[in-house]
Amino acid sequence: MPADPPALPDFEALFEGAPCGLIVTTEDGTILRANDIFRTWIGLEPSELCGRQFQKLLTMGGRIFHQTHWAPLMRMQGSVAEVKLDLVHCAGHTVTMLLNGVRREYPGGVFYELALFGTTDRDRYERELLAARKQAEALLSEKTDAEMALRQAKAELKLAYEKSQRRALFAEQMVAIASHDLKNPLTAIKMATDLLSRGERSIQETQLLGHISQSSERARRMIAQLLDFALVRVGHGIGITRNPLDLHKVIGQSVNELRLAFPQANLRHESLGVGTADLDADRIQQIVGNLVANSVAYGDLDYPITITSSLEDVTATVSVHNRGCVIEEGVMARLFEPMTRASEREDNVRSVGLGLFIVREIAKAHGGEVAVSSNAIDGTTFSARLPLVERPTGPG
Amino acid sequence: MTLQQRNNVSVEGDGPATLILSHGFGCDQTMWIYLYRHFTSRFRVVRYDLVGAGKSDLGAYDKEKYSLLAGYAHDLSEIIEHYAVGPVILVGHSVSAMIGALADRMMPGRVAAHVMVGPSPCYIDSDGYVGGFTREDIDSLLDTLDSNYLGWSSTMAPVIMGAPGQPALSEELANSFCRTEPEIAKQFARVTFLSDNRSDIAGLATPTLILQSTDDLIAPLAVGEYLHAVMPASTLCIIPNVGHCPHMSAPSACSEAMDQFLSPWVVGHAG
Repeated sequence: MPADPPALPDFEALFEGAPCGLIVTTEDGTILRANDIFRTWIGLEPSELCGRQFQKLLTMGGRIFHQTHWAPLMRMQGSVAEVKLDLVHCAGHTVTMLLNGVRREYPGGVFYELALFGTTDRDRYERELLAARKQAEALLSEKTDAEMALRQAKAELKLAYEKSQRRALFAEQMVAIASHDLKNPLTAIKMATDLLSRGERSIQETQLLGHISQSSERARRMIAQLLDFALVRVGHGIGITRNPLDLHKVIGQSVNELRLAFPQANLRHESLGVGTADLDADRIQQIVGNLVANSVAYGDLDYPITITSSLEDVTATVSVHNRGCVIEEGVMARLFEPMTRASEREDNVRSVGLGLFIVREIAKAHGGEVAVSSNAIDGTTFSARLPLVERPTGPG
Repeated sequence: MTLQQRNNVSVEGDGPATLILSHGFGCDQTMWIYLYRHFTSRFRVVRYDLVGAGKSDLGAYDKEKYSLLAGYAHDLSEIIEHYAVGPVILVGHSVSAMIGALADRMMPGRVAAHVMVGPSPCYIDSDGYVGGFTREDIDSLLDTLDSNYLGWSSTMAPVIMGAPGQPALSEELANSFCRTEPEIAKQFARVTFLSDNRSDIAGLATPTLILQSTDDLIAPLAVGEYLHAVMPASTLCIIPNVGHCPHMSAPSACSEAMDQFLSPWVVGHAG
């Protein structure tokens, strides 16, 4: 036989002991009734609570929030849910609560019914989340700032680069114009010297004319190199005209001429292979000239300088070998760049430093490449390998 | 994006003069619901949402622009240009009263009158001036907004408990009104409560009706009296009301005072 259901306590007891704070106020917030639980949470006696405005139990921030936001909401929407508020306990500390509220009209008038829940732990957790979010936002903003700074630095670098490019171009154009304009007066000097040499001259005069002739020839070579440099940097690179030629003969002629130009050096020519090669004769002679001038300047002239011309199936190679100081590894890598020298020797062998650069450019114009090796046992060898079958040069 | 979309502008009613209603911090144009219909038979009534509030275009919220009330005033001046017909009367609640004053300064002569509901030119007390708050109070507000960050959407959401005995507020409105992006609400709170517009308001000679509640935490009586003293063409009207929104809790007292003040702009007014 089923037992009688237990009798419910009366509503009064249920209201007072409900597991949440319960409050009834008028529309302006005046508290008409609050349950025991709420009074305990806030530390006030019923006599102290009734007649007070609910909003006056809040922190100042909560009161402003109430006035500007949730009071209008209560009126218009008739309810609010999950508003978090800090209430001030009679002892002075704050108690965080979550508020649900509803506005109800009864025959006797309009009342606000509020339910409050303690939410201290949840509040602490939410604040931690909020702090984490703020930290994440700060980190993001830091990252964004850093990226912006990087972008700005890049933009500045680009500007500086463009500026230096313009300056370099201007300087190179100056070189091109000056070298071109120097050619004519130099030719006039050479022609006048030649004419003067033909007449009857004293020994001293002949000597002086020889100096003028040699000097102007050196100046002519330097200007030719500058012009080639300018062609590469400002123009479209060194142009070549291929013609079938006997490589060994062309190199042999060059070596003969170079013996006159560098009487102090012992030049030897070796040739390997036979056949004709489709190359630019003047430019090949320029390669030999520049490489030999380089060996004379930096090599040990107690040993011979060997010029080798060789023909294989598809490659013509011109190389120049000398003994002397070994070129350092670090220097070797940039030896073919303009304005680079094998050493910083302070003597009269210094030149503008374009010889090897032009050798490389001529080789490139032929679709070929240059190489250098240098060590104490084998000495130093510069070589230009030129393919005999024409192939397109790489970009740039 | 049009002005209409940016500020969710709505126009109702007709008349020789235009009333532009501008809501305050924490709410949106819905809060005029108890008042605006009283005027639509005699005025062209324009309501709008401040950018960041209600159904304004949140995409238009520019932190820089709205870091000063001048940003909002600029928007208001555009709304005046675009929507006002005839004399313009700005009705601003709370911070919008100051936004209205700034817009007036931006376009001298264009604004015929102001109705300021619970206005305050400066909320923080300083050397002899009583604004009603300390800097710590405002910081405490910002903290409250912060701690409601996660619960914010809940206070906005349609409410589970229902709303018995309410004026006809459509479901659609109930779902959206007073919605504010938490971050925007916080910045707007800072801009609102840390602004000092005393120098902008002093000497403003446009006819102004100040609707001052008897018991208003946000704009205490002393502030209404201060404004009345520094604005030469102002009328101070004390409304018996508790709270910061007399246009909601005491709408008839407000409309009575406004009817009297607005009579010069109504058709058929003698004189």
